[in-house]
Amino acid sequence: MAEATVRSVPLDRARILQWLQTYGVYAGVALLLVVNIVITPHFLSAENFRTQAVQVAPVIIVALGMALVIGTEGVDLSVGAVMALAASVTALYLGYGLLPALLVVAVFAAGVGLANGALVAFVGVQPIVATLALMVGGRGLALVLLPQLEDLRNPALASLGSGDVLGVPYLILIATVLALLVAFVVRRTTFGRQLLAIGDSRPAAQLAGLPVRRVLIVVYVVCALLAAVAGVLATARLQASDPTSLGNLMELSAITAVVVGGTPLTGGRVNIAGTVAGAVLIQLLTATLIKHDLPPSWTQIAQAIVIVCAVYAARGRGKR
Amino acid sequence: MHVLRLPSHLFSVTRIGVTMQRTTHRSRLLARPVVVALSAAVALTATSCAKSEDDASDSKPSSAAAADAGQKVVTPKPGSKSCTIDAYGGKKIDLKSATVGFSQSEKEANPFRIAETQSIKDEAAKRGVKLLTANAQSQFSKQISDVQDLLAKGADLLVIAPLNSDGWDPVLQAAAAKKVPIVTIDRKINATACKDYVSFIASDFVEQGRRAADRMIEATGGKGEVAILLGSAGNNVTTERTKGFKERIAEKAPDLKVVFEQTGDFAREKGQQVTEQLIQSKPGIKGIYAENDEMGLGAVAALKGAGKKAGDIKIVTVDGTRNAVQGVVDGWISGVIESNPRFGPLAFQTLDTFTQGKEVPQDIVIQDGAYDAGNAEQDLGKAY
Amino acid sequence: MAPPAEVLAVRGLSKTFPGVRALDDVDLTLHPGEVHALIGENGAGKSTLIKLLTGVHRPDAGDIVFQGSAVSFATPLDAQKAGISTIYQEVNLIPLLSVARNLFLGREPRNRVGLLDFPRMHREAEETLRAYGVRVDVRRPLRTLGVGAQQMVALARAVASEARIVIMDEPTSSLEPREVETLFSVIRRLRDEGIAVIYVSHRLDELYAVCDTVTVLRDGRRVHHGRLAELDRLSLVSTMLGRELGEVRAEGLTKFTGDHHATDAQPVLEARDLTVPHQLHGVSVSIRPGEVVGLGGLLGSGRTETAKAISGALATSAGSVTVAGVPLRGGSTPAAIRAGISLLPEDRKSEGIVPGLSVRENISLAVLPRLSRFGLVSEARVDSIVDTFIERLRIKASSPQQKVGELSGGNQQKVLLARWLAMNPKVLLLDEPTRGIDVGAKAEVQKLVDELAADGLGVLLISSDLEELIEGSDRVVVLKDGAVVGELTGDEVTEDKLMRTIAGHAPARDTVEEAATDG
Repeated sequence: MAEATVRSVPLDRARILQWLQTYGVYAGVALLLVVNIVITPHFLSAENFRTQAVQVAPVIIVALGMALVIGTEGVDLSVGAVMALAASVTALYLGYGLLPALLVVAVFAAGVGLANGALVAFVGVQPIVATLALMVGGRGLALVLLPQLEDLRNPALASLGSGDVLGVPYLILIATVLALLVAFVVRRTTFGRQLLAIGDSRPAAQLAGLPVRRVLIVVYVVCALLAAVAGVLATARLQASDPTSLGNLMELSAITAVVVGGTPLTGGRVNIAGTVAGAVLIQLLTATLIKHDLPPSWTQIAQAIVIVCAVYAARGRGKR
Repeated sequence: MHVLRLPSHLFSVTRIGVTMQRTTHRSRLLARPVVVALSAAVALTATSCAKSEDDASDSKPSSAAAADAGQKVVTPKPGSKSCTIDAYGGKKIDLKSATVGFSQSEKEANPFRIAETQSIKDEAAKRGVKLLTANAQSQFSKQISDVQDLLAKGADLLVIAPLNSDGWDPVLQAAAAKKVPIVTIDRKINATACKDYVSFIASDFVEQGRRAADRMIEATGGKGEVAILLGSAGNNVTTERTKGFKERIAEKAPDLKVVFEQTGDFAREKGQQVTEQLIQSKPGIKGIYAENDEMGLGAVAALKGAGKKAGDIKIVTVDGTRNAVQGVVDGWISGVIESNPRFGPLAFQTLDTFTQGKEVPQDIVIQDGAYDAGNAEQDLGKAY
Repeated sequence: MAPPAEVLAVRGLSKTFPGVRALDDVDLTLHPGEVHALIGENGAGKSTLIKLLTGVHRPDAGDIVFQGSAVSFATPLDAQKAGISTIYQEVNLIPLLSVARNLFLGREPRNRVGLLDFPRMHREAEETLRAYGVRVDVRRPLRTLGVGAQQMVALARAVASEARIVIMDEPTSSLEPREVETLFSVIRRLRDEGIAVIYVSHRLDELYAVCDTVTVLRDGRRVHHGRLAELDRLSLVSTMLGRELGEVRAEGLTKFTGDHHATDAQPVLEARDLTVPHQLHGVSVSIRPGEVVGLGGLLGSGRTETAKAISGALATSAGSVTVAGVPLRGGSTPAAIRAGISLLPEDRKSEGIVPGLSVRENISLAVLPRLSRFGLVSEARVDSIVDTFIERLRIKASSPQQKVGELSGGNQQKVLLARWLAMNPKVLLLDEPTRGIDVGAKAEVQKLVDELAADGLGVLLISSDLEELIEGSDRVVVLKDGAVVGELTGDEVTEDKLMRTIAGHAPARDTVEEAATDG
């Protein structure tokens, strides 16, 4: 992106790429913040940052799970469908109260994750194919369960979507806690290390006696659960369950956030801070273009440029 | 009750099974029952003990509740073309003894499609006509084969809600061979009226945009800045509703400026997100024109979330779904322009007139209602 | 004889990578028809020099004069087009294409309408490969060939593309002795045709068999050059290592001391009648504590498969494995590891190390669950184990955080050994533990194997290096075509006896008849 042209000093190209890969996403966020503070009216307000954070929170939560899956050299295309499923199951069981409904949501999401994981780990289906099946089937099931949008008036759900603690919305709190938790798991637990090893070299991990299948299944279940959390939160915010359009193209947003954040698609590395920043980068980019009322197609083009830049930066690493 | 709704929705899962298994005919035959059984099992387990919020109170009113909610024809303009059975070819039949085939384009997952299909079914039942229905699940190739199926099953008359305007030649030829009259509803097909099909019945989307503009001018006093939440890009409904709105604003209220046009993809969540950005960056905005109810309701959610009060920002939407009309009652929405989905009475009326050998118009524009603070409460039952 | 004009002259070549002076002011001259040995420990700068010559990297300083003019290749393809071909340790051809297509890749014969002329391609490919001792159906995909045959195809391809210089980087590491002979005859033919060869290898026998001249690199500098015949083996080794001659001689050519003695205790490992369809036919091996048992045999004789079957990495259709008297159930890798069996796999790069993770994480990979409580890793315990092994095995890394992929082969192997030693195993299965690692590291690994056996471990040693196998093993079980054909013990453990057993001339003991009946 822009920082590449700004720093056109003929440094070692590899080193620029390295720098871009590690810090490019943060630089991009910083750049967009500065640009917006200068050119966008009313940008520098708590209210605005709150809006951006609330909007990006579900994307971040889904991207966390996606980052784990990508860390194992996989991909999960079913996250959007799981969000829709979470939305329709929430609506279906809300009569029992919020907590029981959430438990049922968790069961459904875990079921999808289990199916994904089993297909990948035991049957040996390529992750992209396995999760594609669940992407189609998951949304289908969501629509069978709840064929059309339904308004929800449960006060507990409503406060989950719009309430706050000391001015910080629950959505932001939840996303923050989950991000810290996932980062901790990746860095400090046996599971996290095993996940990275499996993503980096599956044969080596197998010969080292790691529980490869178990780790893969757990990763896909966690990813589905995170997507379900995002689905419930988005539903709570909307105060309506909309399985038709909720989570549409979410898999792409999540993959974009992960890749832009410097996690290579080849697995073996997971950058959680970068993933969060990647989601924020895309959010700010979209917000900037919307606030300046530029045509929506520009947003897509801008996203495409960011992805190309991220992949270009990642290429330098992949070659080594 | 959800359990009661099940059988009709199971059909959509069958389709999913089939689309996933488009390999060979044999695997299709095999996959279908398996997938149906599996999804039925999951769906049954899931719904058998489900309890949604609505279950406690009385269920939603039947979508065809209001008897007088049928469509009226806008008086045809003088000189507009008409069609008779002699000009079209074919022979007179008695509608009562005929079989009518109805091909729906999208799955009944939004209020408009649900009300549309229901209206056709209700009218057929009311008139005692045998009705065959099919749903293309938003796949055009399926719609073509659906219609061919309907013809093969012996439909004498066809009502089609087309997914696309183009690509209908194979169907039209098959229908022409059997001299089956076709009425298309809500979207036109690119073919010759009174030769390839009889009549086209639909709303005038440009007119809907104009009427929305009228409501907006009234609500805002014709001054200030307004925003448009566009529908999906590349959709004719989006273009026409935008065109009518802008035309009328330019013509009647030059002081009203459209300062913001962003797509909400006809979805509530997107409408919410875009509106949140809008009220951040343009706090002085006076009104929001949402090109469908869902985006309008998303805008309402955004305004509520930002701590605005009902009526602070005027919202005008198009469609006339129940939720939106309730929004008018509650004061959050200033006006809803109806896009009437109840094509049943008008479609059957047209077919009846036509098969009796009388003249019918080629283009039938149906009259859409409107809801505002004055009538919303009493007309809530009309909303779908 | 008066040397003809040099084909390659390298002057003052230097290259610095971040933090490392990889090559420092190195000269190299090469005449047509010269076979030049390029040797040095891993990290001495051999790979860097080759990469500079073939356009993979560009030098920081110095000139490369090729056939009289200064050159600067932008890509390996440029170098190849100019006449410098390289054969790497790993075959880098396209496995799914046919042998013939691979051979002619990029210069396929075409017929009059510009389409590939397959009949001609197949005919010429067969002729070409016959000269390399490879007789196969050239229409078959390359991957269906053995590694040795693939290597020959790569060689034939390199030579056929009108090279003036052929660089061979450890070309024999996956060849059988017979194939090595073919390779040497090809090299001699190249020499006669006036083509210069740069030959990189760790196998001293081979160097002395084919090379005329030698350049020794150490720490990025040229420390010796001249005629190879004027430098005896021990001097060569000492030059490479930078150690005193006496010290090296005292330790012999391998570092095995034989200071361990098999006890009469019950076998720590007993594998009985291991059978894997098409690969193993009832192989039995037993190892006592403190014993190093060698597995001898040619490539494809089932040595690797035996090790993998014992460690649960290869599913068996029949047979049993008993560790310290307890039968192993399940036949899975984790179960074998829990029972105390550790396998150092042959393919270090793809099956051993996890290249993107750090030294620390690689060492602690298998033992991690034991260093964790409730799934949380105890960093302090990991640190202490990692530090212990880095010190004990003398692993050279800039820090425990360095990526294993960046280490030299020898150090990677030590990291893998550390990974398994941290598990406190009862049996170590070592599949080619010293392949592709430098002499110094090789010696250290060999010494370590001795120490471990002396500590009471049972060791299974697989090595294509006969010297290593003979000097390192107390007993050698010889395999042929997936079955045991003999066993050498005590004084029988000699190169001569081993070769004869493999060749089938001198059947040793009655195990042969046993194996013959079911094989």
